[in-house]
Amino acid sequence: MDLNRYLELYLSESHDHMRALMQGLLALESGQEVRGAVEEAFRAAHTIKGMSATMGFQRVTDICHHLEDRLDDVRAGRLQASREVVDELLARADELERAIQESVQDPQGASNELAGPVTVVPDPAQPRKLTSADGPLVARVHFDPESAMKAARALLLVRSLAQRKLIRGAEPAEFGEDFDGRLLLHLAPEVEVDALEQELKRSPDVASATVEKEGAAAPETAAAPELQKRGPVARVVRVDQAKLNHLSGGIGELTVLQGRLGNLAAESGPISVIVTRLNVLVAELQSSVLAMQMVPVGDVFDRFPRVVRDAARALGKEIEFTIEGREIEMDRAIVDEIGDPLVHLIRNAVDHGLEGPLGRIEADKPPRGQLVLRAMRERNSVRIELEDDGRGVSAEKVIAKARRAGVPVHSTPDQITNDELLRILSHPGFSTAEQITEVSGRGVGLDAVTNRVRALGGAIALESRPGQGSTFTIRLPITLAVAQALHVRVGGEDYAIPLTHVSEAMILDGNVSRQRGREIVALRGDELPLVRLRAVLGSHAPGIEQAAVVAEVGERRSALAVDELIGREQILVKDFDGAVGTLPIFSGVTLLADGRPALVLDPLSVV
Amino acid sequence: MLKTVLVCDDAVFMRTMLADILTQAGFAVIGQAKTGTEAVEKYRELRPDLVTMDIVMPDMGGIEAVKLIMQEYPDAKILMCSAMGQQSLVIEAIQAGARDFVVKPFQPSRVLEAVQRVLG
Repeated sequence: MDLNRYLELYLSESHDHMRALMQGLLALESGQEVRGAVEEAFRAAHTIKGMSATMGFQRVTDICHHLEDRLDDVRAGRLQASREVVDELLARADELERAIQESVQDPQGASNELAGPVTVVPDPAQPRKLTSADGPLVARVHFDPESAMKAARALLLVRSLAQRKLIRGAEPAEFGEDFDGRLLLHLAPEVEVDALEQELKRSPDVASATVEKEGAAAPETAAAPELQKRGPVARVVRVDQAKLNHLSGGIGELTVLQGRLGNLAAESGPISVIVTRLNVLVAELQSSVLAMQMVPVGDVFDRFPRVVRDAARALGKEIEFTIEGREIEMDRAIVDEIGDPLVHLIRNAVDHGLEGPLGRIEADKPPRGQLVLRAMRERNSVRIELEDDGRGVSAEKVIAKARRAGVPVHSTPDQITNDELLRILSHPGFSTAEQITEVSGRGVGLDAVTNRVRALGGAIALESRPGQGSTFTIRLPITLAVAQALHVRVGGEDYAIPLTHVSEAMILDGNVSRQRGREIVALRGDELPLVRLRAVLGSHAPGIEQAAVVAEVGERRSALAVDELIGREQILVKDFDGAVGTLPIFSGVTLLADGRPALVLDPLSVV
Repeated sequence: MLKTVLVCDDAVFMRTMLADILTQAGFAVIGQAKTGTEAVEKYRELRPDLVTMDIVMPDMGGIEAVKLIMQEYPDAKILMCSAMGQQSLVIEAIQAGARDFVVKPFQPSRVLEAVQRVLG
């Protein structure tokens, strides 16, 4: 059997279980619902073990096995889930993740190698073995859920033990199709606990077996509500991402062709009826393929608790990290890309934003810092906020540091805006860290984050509340496949402006004035700076600027003057890389509904 | 001394396969039966160390055969061979005295493990 065919499936499934394992371990440390957390971690390790053994990945299997043993000790109460123990388990989980990666990269090597050396971390606290002197004992036996005949196995086991008088009784006492795989054995007094436990573990189809004192809290009670609240399970088919991308690309192009056909059909009655039907069909197809590419942001958010924990531990800080809106969905391509920038912001918040326990007590705050990551839908985009209740961004320090680093500063500390703070912080190479720390590294400003967000067609904003905390807000399009854009004309050329950052369009009709050398346009009592795209683009072609597009980025709004507003269109942006040598204000090229190419203008660059 | 085995199954294919697995592992397959009645007769005649017993067989099923054999020979060691989804029948066979079971399709290693447990 060629197991290589299953590598991808193996990798993606182990990935899911690794996440569950990490979550379980972190929950274990938090001390909440310890039973459920251990069960979850155990199940994950067990499942990975089974898959890895089938693939012949010996080292992965061994590591899982060791993890299982340790978790088993915790579950049975023989091992206290102290910080040291959780540290050890996490280190082991990291090792497991690496081993999985290595095995997948070199399946032959992984299956041929002998049981590799598992780095043994010394037991911080040797669990005390129970003996019959501890009073009445029970054994909890869990049968492998994959086993086809758990009930028959359980019956055989109970019968064999009863014949040898090793048990006083068993729950359940009878076995039928409704047996759920969990068996409780009441051990006979004077039984050899160790030997019995080993025998139980070696019995066919047994996933785990632990001996504990009678009357210890049953895991069933903790695990049951967990299962209930998961709700109905959707039937899932795994599809190669490349195939999905291909489908999505094809439908994207179909959308554009449909637009062109629509323009032609406007002049011919009978065809336009067909085109109308086609429009509906294409829109349906498009929304279903987009839905297929949507994944919940939780897919990437769920690895952040570990990031926060490790950073907080390294810095001696206490932080309560909350994730909200993990079910919000976005294009997988964006979710995949947004992880690193968010890790960066999170580390910065832990390192620079949140104070240590002493600093917080001095500032009259609870010693535990709060860090909240939340996602929410907002019109055609997703808003992601990272909010901390730390010290906020110190304008004095930022400006002083900026001056030393040669970053231009236009304001004094008391009048500086959040936008300018963000601009300075995002300057390449800027860092406010007084000390270089291992957590956020040296000289890593926000520029990497800002660039990544912009490359995805998003925008980032900062709100600093001195002494109270700060919030980074990232707005991102929901999908990269097709963008809503405004088709405009400037100097006889066509341009597309993505709607992500457009709040409205307006007619320029005597509402432009001059203030301190700058052009201002009045809009419902507000005054917006006017940016003449003709000037930005260096166009001298004849034409009059009749309209303006209001672009909104964070707190800033500007009116971009254009010759003509043509309309709203769906554009397909195949590549967001700007061409070499073009003005840095373009984010890509697209085909318009009439088939002509147009440059995609990035409003962020001119606002 | 070689352990002796009686293989009971109505399908030649299954009997051959089981016999091969067991022979290769060093057991002596001293008889085969294709119905429950035949299984009981051959057991009396051969008194093997182990019986592998299919559940569904013509004329007399495996469970009935187990009951009859156990009545006469309470020390008989019988290993049930079951298809998926026959759990209730397997349970019945165990209650009748069968020592263990394997589930089809057979993996040789699973068969031999079960045999080891039964002969333990």
